[in-house]
Amino acid sequence: MSELNVAVIIKLEPDFSEGSVSYNPDGTLNRAETKNTLGPHSTIAAHAAFYAKVMYNARISIGTMGPPIAESALQMAQRLSDAEELHLYSDRIFAGADTLATAEVLKTGIEKMQGKMDIVFSGHRASDGETGQTGPQTAWKLGFTFLGNVIDYKIDIQNRTITAKRLVRLQGFSDVVEEIEAPLPVFISIDPSYKPLFNTISQRLAFGKFQKEAKIRAENYKQYLKVFNVQQLGVDPKYVGLPGSPTIVYKVERIPRGKATRQAEVLDGSNPEHIRKAVSKMKEALAAMVIK
Amino acid sequence: MTEGNYQHLYVIMEVEDGKLVPVSLEMLGEARRLVDSFNRKYNLDEKVVAVLLGYELNDISQTLIEHGADFVVYAEHPELMVYRNNIYTKVIGQIAQDKNIAKIISSEDSNFKKPRYMFFGADNIGRHLSSTVLVELESGLASDINKLEINDIKLTHQHKTDGKEVTYEKTLEMYRPDFSGFLWTTILCLDNKNHSIEREYHPQSCSIIPGVFEPIEPDKKRKGQVIEYTTKIDQNDLKVKVLNRQVIKSEVDFDRYRAVVSFGRGIKDAPEENIRLIEELAKSLNAEIGVSLPISKKPFSINQNLSAKYMILERVIGTSGRKISPMLYVAIGISGAMQHVAGMKDSEFVVAVNPDENSPIKDECDIFIKGRMEDVIPKLVEEIKKQSFVIQA
Repeated sequence: MSELNVAVIIKLEPDFSEGSVSYNPDGTLNRAETKNTLGPHSTIAAHAAFYAKVMYNARISIGTMGPPIAESALQMAQRLSDAEELHLYSDRIFAGADTLATAEVLKTGIEKMQGKMDIVFSGHRASDGETGQTGPQTAWKLGFTFLGNVIDYKIDIQNRTITAKRLVRLQGFSDVVEEIEAPLPVFISIDPSYKPLFNTISQRLAFGKFQKEAKIRAENYKQYLKVFNVQQLGVDPKYVGLPGSPTIVYKVERIPRGKATRQAEVLDGSNPEHIRKAVSKMKEALAAMVIK
Repeated sequence: MTEGNYQHLYVIMEVEDGKLVPVSLEMLGEARRLVDSFNRKYNLDEKVVAVLLGYELNDISQTLIEHGADFVVYAEHPELMVYRNNIYTKVIGQIAQDKNIAKIISSEDSNFKKPRYMFFGADNIGRHLSSTVLVELESGLASDINKLEINDIKLTHQHKTDGKEVTYEKTLEMYRPDFSGFLWTTILCLDNKNHSIEREYHPQSCSIIPGVFEPIEPDKKRKGQVIEYTTKIDQNDLKVKVLNRQVIKSEVDFDRYRAVVSFGRGIKDAPEENIRLIEELAKSLNAEIGVSLPISKKPFSINQNLSAKYMILERVIGTSGRKISPMLYVAIGISGAMQHVAGMKDSEFVVAVNPDENSPIKDECDIFIKGRMEDVIPKLVEEIKKQSFVIQA
């Protein structure tokens, strides 16, 4: 029995890397042509869980809600975190859920995982939906203390507490670095800038060992995989999917191109005279400010 | 819905280090405009209610009234001095459902259950806070909104209305730009009027992108009332102890530079080489480097150091990132999606380098240099050196 149970919730998302992503001529995402992958923030959440594996020999479980193909995301996350349990919550009725209805499924799933969870990790936000709401909403439904924007953490196994650093950015105002302490269990939404550090030899040895283990497990991921439909999960169908979503997408439209705010002078980049002109204008712009 | 169950617009204020975070007054400004037109349209007298949590913030209440709040509900307690999700969620949840507060605001007895609408800031605090508060209030939430309207909406929906046409009155239309910056999605939070799943979903709530809406001109003569709220603190909600807290300057600090050079997906033909060129240009102008939102999703596999340095959210200019106003803004390979333009439109002088004369950035710049960055940047750098810029730090 492990002394620390860790869950990660992840998401299969469009792959925004060049070569995988496809845009329509109007600049919008071509979902049909774009490949899918484990979301970048889910990847960071899996790394954060693996840190608990290496440091505290945690037992890792991963959960996701999605179509059957989302099991590929579970496999990728297992490869990164050495998870021993993979949960896929998959049912037509879950489709179209907003964040509140998604959180209901994830909360129920996490409660069905083996062992009582001490920490649940989620990514900062999904790269397609980008709401960043599902993590904290799942936390609140679980009744776990929510810690957002965590960039570093340590566990005190004896006292069942966590100390964590949070980086709170208030755009155009200030950033705040906060160190907090809280009793377990906690729900952590991991910051995009999180980087696990393994300093000692024994940590690095454990890192190597579990990485190998993770590779083998991920090759045989199906034996760790459990798929739940709405009945198997035991959620009330009224609280999931479209019926359980307070919000709907009413319409999608192109953002109208605004009126030109400036009258651009068009210069030819291959004409040295034009380059000279551009640079002298730039110089003027900067000079104006010196006088100011 | 029984009239009176859901009333008023509650706006959640953010305070850091004793000072109002700018998005707070921006939200109040938009709340004021919306509620004024709502009251005219429906011949009602609903209020803009600013909700303020903290300690020793008495001066701020007055500022909020001057900026459009009809009422300020002020929960003052030493335990509320800094934002902590648990206790803040509980206190806001209590305030939002407090009938006595509603009675003072409406100046009459009513069946008040919850606010009609609710706004939060879409930043690292408001985003999480809005999420947990709306679970507590069991209603819907839209994030990152940059346009709002209130209308009566006729709708036929399989789940919401059981396929029948229903008119939803006084519905908040919440417009959200998608990640590409080219699409607007309108989100509605609607009661289920389908008998098999009947439920009321109020407040209709959203988080609002910082820097989008203008605060109203402060008016010292505006009248408003401060309601002091006696907070019930449950020790269970104080599990998180703040051991240490430091306000720091961001790693990427656009304000220290007079020029900013930004790049977008246009670097795609040779991402690494092009970033190096952009670095050179930025150096010659003593400029900070920014990026468009798609770049923060690391669309190119390049040298780890370059990726970690540049393809990050901290550098994003636009509604998902920073709003800046340098003396000189140079947009390289940026098409000019609305969400980006919102972050740079206040720049004094804007130069764009782009091969496509039809890209929207042309309408947002003073000089449009037509050409590929691979060809244009080296020429610019050479010319800048020739014209020997004396750049003051």
